[in-house]
Amino acid sequence: MPAKVIVRDLHKQYGGVHAAHGVSFEIQDGEIFGLLGPNGSGKTTTLECVIGLREPDAGVIEVCGLDARRHPRAVKEKIGAVLQTIALQDKITPREALTLFASFYRESASPPGLLQRFGLDEKADVAFDTLSGGQRQRLAVALAFVNNPELIFLDEPTTGLDPQSRRDLHAEIARMKRDGHTVLLTTHYIDEAEQLCDRIAIIDRGHIIASGPPRDLIAESTSMQSVSLTTARPLDRESVAGLPGVQDLAWEDTRVRFRTATVGETLSSLMRLLDERNVELTELQVRKASLEDVFIALTGDSLRH
Amino acid sequence: MSPFLQQLRVTLKLHYRNRMALLYCYLFPLVFLLAFWVLYRHESVTLARHMGELLTVSVLGGACFGLPTTMVSERERGVWRRYRLAPVSTATLVASTIVARYFILVTAGLLQLGVALAVGMPLPSRPVGLLVVFTFVAFAFIGLGLVMAMMADNVPAVQALGQCIFLPMLIIGGIAVPLASLPDWAQRVSTFFPGRYAVEALQACVVGIGLAAAGFDLLALAIIGAGGCIAGAKMFRWDAQQRFAAGTGKGWVAIALLAWGVVGVMSEYRGRISAMAPAASRTRAQTAPAARPDAVPSATSVATPIPAKPAAPVTLSDAEIKTQGQPPKVATPERVPPPSETANLSPAAPPGPAAVKPADPPRAAGTAWQAVTTADIDRDLVFDRLPSDRGIVTPIAPEDEEPDTDTADHLQYIRENLPSWQPGQVADPVQRVRNVLYVAAVPDVMQLPVERYAAHVVYERLQQDIPKDQLIKILYWIALHPTEGDDKAVDELWALRFGNATADMQQTRERTALYAVKLLGRLLGKLPRPPS
Repeated sequence: MPAKVIVRDLHKQYGGVHAAHGVSFEIQDGEIFGLLGPNGSGKTTTLECVIGLREPDAGVIEVCGLDARRHPRAVKEKIGAVLQTIALQDKITPREALTLFASFYRESASPPGLLQRFGLDEKADVAFDTLSGGQRQRLAVALAFVNNPELIFLDEPTTGLDPQSRRDLHAEIARMKRDGHTVLLTTHYIDEAEQLCDRIAIIDRGHIIASGPPRDLIAESTSMQSVSLTTARPLDRESVAGLPGVQDLAWEDTRVRFRTATVGETLSSLMRLLDERNVELTELQVRKASLEDVFIALTGDSLRH
Repeated sequence: MSPFLQQLRVTLKLHYRNRMALLYCYLFPLVFLLAFWVLYRHESVTLARHMGELLTVSVLGGACFGLPTTMVSERERGVWRRYRLAPVSTATLVASTIVARYFILVTAGLLQLGVALAVGMPLPSRPVGLLVVFTFVAFAFIGLGLVMAMMADNVPAVQALGQCIFLPMLIIGGIAVPLASLPDWAQRVSTFFPGRYAVEALQACVVGIGLAAAGFDLLALAIIGAGGCIAGAKMFRWDAQQRFAAGTGKGWVAIALLAWGVVGVMSEYRGRISAMAPAASRTRAQTAPAARPDAVPSATSVATPIPAKPAAPVTLSDAEIKTQGQPPKVATPERVPPPSETANLSPAAPPGPAAVKPADPPRAAGTAWQAVTTADIDRDLVFDRLPSDRGIVTPIAPEDEEPDTDTADHLQYIRENLPSWQPGQVADPVQRVRNVLYVAAVPDVMQLPVERYAAHVVYERLQQDIPKDQLIKILYWIALHPTEGDDKAVDELWALRFGNATADMQQTRERTALYAVKLLGRLLGKLPRPPS
């Protein structure tokens, strides 16, 4: 089956800044694909080029088998999008907004059905400026579904939402996948990308620096594991640094953090050291590398939240 | 429902939910109207004479402030960007926005008109024509509003840009300040502004003969509107992040400016500076202090009344007229009562001593017109400061200028019937001359198509009817006594196919005095192009 979205060698420049510099990726049918990167990395520019909000300087964009640059209106019939800013007039009601946007498409879903699906029945006829943040976001998602789209684009959809609204939206995105929709999601939340996406592409400074399923990315990127421990009395730094395999040592009184590629050997040596010094271990945590670790390993920088 | 109608419906609904928008679009025009009515309700000035200005200000505010403010604020919020995600064309959204704004402007205009009628304004003379003209005016200003919406990057910029256009348009653009009181350069500049054409065309449909007098105005408004709409559509910006200065389409502003330039040049080429200005300026002149009933009439701008020493009465012969500057021949005057007494008519009751004094020079008061001397004329009148024949007050077409067919027919009718027109045959020669001069003054005040040509017929008739030496004295007398005599003849102008003449009499008398001075100047050889 052909890819639902194909982006090849996409370039977009603002002044002298390359917001997208040779970006390429594909999204398969029914897949949730995440563009993960810090603010200013180029993920929103990339998404807006794909959905026709920005004209790329160069590159190929195919959406649902159509050349998106040559047939933008045909593509818009097939896609729905939730932008970062939920932009509607203050006094428009959810019902009016859905009815208005439904009129823009050749085929559209029933506004009352959308109001019910997204839990907006009771707020159907109140002004937009009286809705809560979560309700506004649900309306934005409802608007994205107004044309029964094959493909959904979500640009940082959970930014600024309270935890409950965020959980609700995660559930809705999971439902999209169950219903067979293809989703392109941009986010700078690592846990969101890990939890929701089948595949992700890490983008930084306009370049895609890695892509694939989150677990594969982690596995391919590094075999390091993180170790953190707390002791009853402080250990001396040199002794810990001298343990086999210890890297990136961080020290804060009785709390110690480091990474190691040979976790068994390092922990054995650590236990012997504690015995020798007669220092009690009060807490020990070992975890696999995270996407953030992957990002740091790939870029030498941490994700900017 | 189609995207166009759905967007139109939503736009209107949102407009009527916005209290501030309602305030600007509906309440402010009413406040203008009522303030004007309250201030001038005791004077001869009527609302009908100012509806052109009041409606133009309403359209200007709604289209050049309301429209761009709404569009720019929605663009800033990202509403238009969200629209762009949908497969709907720019043209559909812009068209529905324009139609919605037109509906808002029409309803605001109707409300303003309705309130004006409620406080006593007579029905517009051409209601259907008024709607047509209003549509053209709205089109022109909506085009301008679109350009502003595309040029302004944010709402404060709309306000700044709006003031840059609004204030010059009010002051030198033919809307709020009488053109007649502006220097020539400002009058020329005003021909490049749509406000002048808007006021003139609207006014022609409120108190004038309607669309027949507004052909060029409608053309000018259509050109300006089309220029604005094309430029606005070409510069359309969905996204607030697209700055005007950085955009590629900003050159289209030149199209909007070009439309203004074309209209101004056409106006100049067609002599419209003089032809169309009166509508605006005459109407506005009513509000100017100089036109108040108790003010010095316009004639004082060309006449310089000086307390007279008793001058020897003279009879002017042709020879004397040809040899201006030589001592006039002195003759014993025939003692005749003042014209108003001869005609057994009461002079127009002056509003008060203060009002009469400036208009009636001491030399002339209590003296008969027959006693006028060349010295009086030389002393009291100057001819080089008269309003230009090509100007906006008391226009007179060049001898070789052919009127259009309808106007020519009307002129011919006047020419044939003026000799038998009853007010033109009254016994008192001064009243008779005054009555015939009304035939030129009234169409000037009412902006009738014959206004630039009627003076020719009037001058012909007066020279045929009144001996030249008497005519000179009478014209002088009328120039210096614009408030004397009666004006019942104006009610008889229907016989010359002027319709129901409802000209403001204060202005009519001022224009009568000016036409008297213009004819006098021609008879004395002090003005060029003497009438045939």
